[in-house]
Amino acid sequence: MDLSYTAEEEQFRTELRTWLAENIPAEWTEPGYWASLDDTESFEKRREWEARKTAAGFSGIQWPVEYGGRGGTPGMKAIYDEETIRARAPQTVNTLGLTFLAPTVMAIGTPEQKTEIIGPMLRNEVIWCQGFSEPGAGSDLAAVSTRGVRDGDDFVVNGQKIWTTNAMHGDKIFTLVRTEAGSEKHKGISMLLIDMNQPGVEARPLKQMSGASEFGEVFFTDARVPAKDCLGEIGQGWRTAMLLLSFERGASGVGQYTEFRRQYDEIVAEAKRFGRADDPVARQELARCLVELECLRYHAMHILTQTEQGRDLGSESSMTKLQWSEAFQDLWEAFEKVLGPEATLAAPRPDVDLTPFHAQDHWSRSVTIWGGSSQVQRNIVAERVLGLPR
Amino acid sequence: MFFALTDEQQAFASTVSEFLADRFDLDAVRGVVEDSHGDGHPLTLWKGLADQGALAVLVPEEHDGLGLGLVDAQVVARALGAGVAPGPWLGTVLAAEAVRLAGSAEQQARWLPALAAGETVGTVALRGEGGAWDGSGITVDANDGRLSGSASPVDYPGVAGLLVVAATDSSGTPGLYVVEAAASGLSVRDQQTYDGTARVGAVELADTPAEALTAGGPEAVRALLARGAVLNAADLVGVAREALTRTVAYDRERTQFGVPVGSFQAIKHRMADLHVAVTMAEHAVLFAAYALDSHDPGADVAVAVAGSKASDAAWEATGAMIQFFGGIGFTWEHEAHFFYKRARRRAPLFGSADEHRERLAALTI
Repeated sequence: MDLSYTAEEEQFRTELRTWLAENIPAEWTEPGYWASLDDTESFEKRREWEARKTAAGFSGIQWPVEYGGRGGTPGMKAIYDEETIRARAPQTVNTLGLTFLAPTVMAIGTPEQKTEIIGPMLRNEVIWCQGFSEPGAGSDLAAVSTRGVRDGDDFVVNGQKIWTTNAMHGDKIFTLVRTEAGSEKHKGISMLLIDMNQPGVEARPLKQMSGASEFGEVFFTDARVPAKDCLGEIGQGWRTAMLLLSFERGASGVGQYTEFRRQYDEIVAEAKRFGRADDPVARQELARCLVELECLRYHAMHILTQTEQGRDLGSESSMTKLQWSEAFQDLWEAFEKVLGPEATLAAPRPDVDLTPFHAQDHWSRSVTIWGGSSQVQRNIVAERVLGLPR
Repeated sequence: MFFALTDEQQAFASTVSEFLADRFDLDAVRGVVEDSHGDGHPLTLWKGLADQGALAVLVPEEHDGLGLGLVDAQVVARALGAGVAPGPWLGTVLAAEAVRLAGSAEQQARWLPALAAGETVGTVALRGEGGAWDGSGITVDANDGRLSGSASPVDYPGVAGLLVVAATDSSGTPGLYVVEAAASGLSVRDQQTYDGTARVGAVELADTPAEALTAGGPEAVRALLARGAVLNAADLVGVAREALTRTVAYDRERTQFGVPVGSFQAIKHRMADLHVAVTMAEHAVLFAAYALDSHDPGADVAVAVAGSKASDAAWEATGAMIQFFGGIGFTWEHEAHFFYKRARRRAPLFGSADEHRERLAALTI
């Protein structure tokens, strides 16, 4: 056992921490600041800030230098996740592009795609959306019915995507499209990289139960996309999608722990304020959450170790997802149970604003659905890790 | 970053597991379970463990030990839990830890080599009936080198040659004392635990001569309780993992409605959740052992996390084992009850899950 980072990694931490301290205005770190902004205003502020961060060399931490990355270690990525959350840095505006699309392009993209996609994404000149889910294709992703018909050098695309994060801000969308008429399930699908700034693409916001609109719907009506803008081979979109989803790395568990542990401390502070911290049942409830969060931290160190040893995480990422998403949701259930009626009020006292708590509380209901629901993850753990029959 | 066992530690784990599989399998365990009047301390098993260094793991090299840490010791505890192995391993290792942590050089030299070699069986008596596992639940008084009172439940007091007893002195300060089995006024009553893989008794002391460990104050009592909590948790995760593995293997083969019952999501999802819980408990035990070895400032939190998570995981996994083996899992002939009873006997030792969570609340709220 050795839980330390290398001297080089700690040096990186110092540099990053210094830069963050100098580049995050104090008001940004106040609770509720981001929630108080209009969605577009928040997005543009974050886009601008992230571009500055990239210019300073603090984006694409683990990416190769040839793609504009820092060429850092998995440990540096973990440190990056931890420090940005500790400093209350704004969330990235290009999550899906940076997490999923970029490494896939690096792995299987054409030379032109590598040049055209990665740099502009890193500089936030192009915001990427993910076009996977459809009204009829959620957990059963292979049921996609958005269709693409070849017309000369282009595909003409018709159909609808849903639950699209950043739909209202997206410039391009990597989209699973059925390009072989009459094909079924995993066959005949292509991953097309579609320009959203064209008449045939319309994005509409979806208002979530929290009141926010982080995602929306995307409608394709005779949208055109050049056939060369297919990632991976035409008709092999399922394979491309599986590769893409494999880039969901567990190392961000270090960052998640940092964030959730802070939320635990904030909930504890409210429990004290409202006289609930001495109740033995409330204490059990909170401590139960803390146990799971600490386990998430240990698990993140385990995953980081496996990554550094060059091991393929495979289906273990389903366990990671289950642990963090269920622990996070349970934490916010504890908030409700421990605070009781006060938890349901935005202004239980004149000087207390629980709006940011409500945003997290309601957001927590989504995390066990998106990115593979808990039920799908349990099937994966049972079948691929434990070897139970299908 | 290296959050894992080294190759040497993995090899140590395999050695103990393979020894149990070859020389003390479930048939041998059953022999101990069904011999309820026996001492539950098979000498073949004990000698084998001693030969592998499993008793010497935490003892310093200068006293004929291996000089390793709790990360290594938890490897042994997990293997013993997985094998539902009987015997006074935990008591002996903890008694040696007490002497190592709080004994004088002379006391260490006198007792450690015999404990490391398995020539002397040790045990610890750190709590009285109904008491808490934090030093406040001690019901033994110390006066002028003599102890009076009782402790319960105590592992294997009947075969122990050396007992480490927590007692409070006339000022109310807890400390650690060594009592030899032949001491006057010492009596042991078998409490007949339902867990046939152990023997448990109450220890009565009546003006019994004892020797105080020279540095055995409240800190030493707490340190010993923390080590007990981690090694007991390690045994529990061993039990939990083995119970889950056996249940999964059975439900892959057991057919009903023309298909393996393990293909039903009602079973799959429970197994998946248990796999996650047991894995997290394994991480938690590993981290807590490391935190104590490395004097990590978060060690108190880590021990409480491991104690509560491991005991919950073992409780759940062994209950599920009976449920998902169906009727056969409820029979005396089946091994499920070895795992179930061991998990439930050990879950409250050195602090129940609830007590560990209250400790976490005290540390963070």
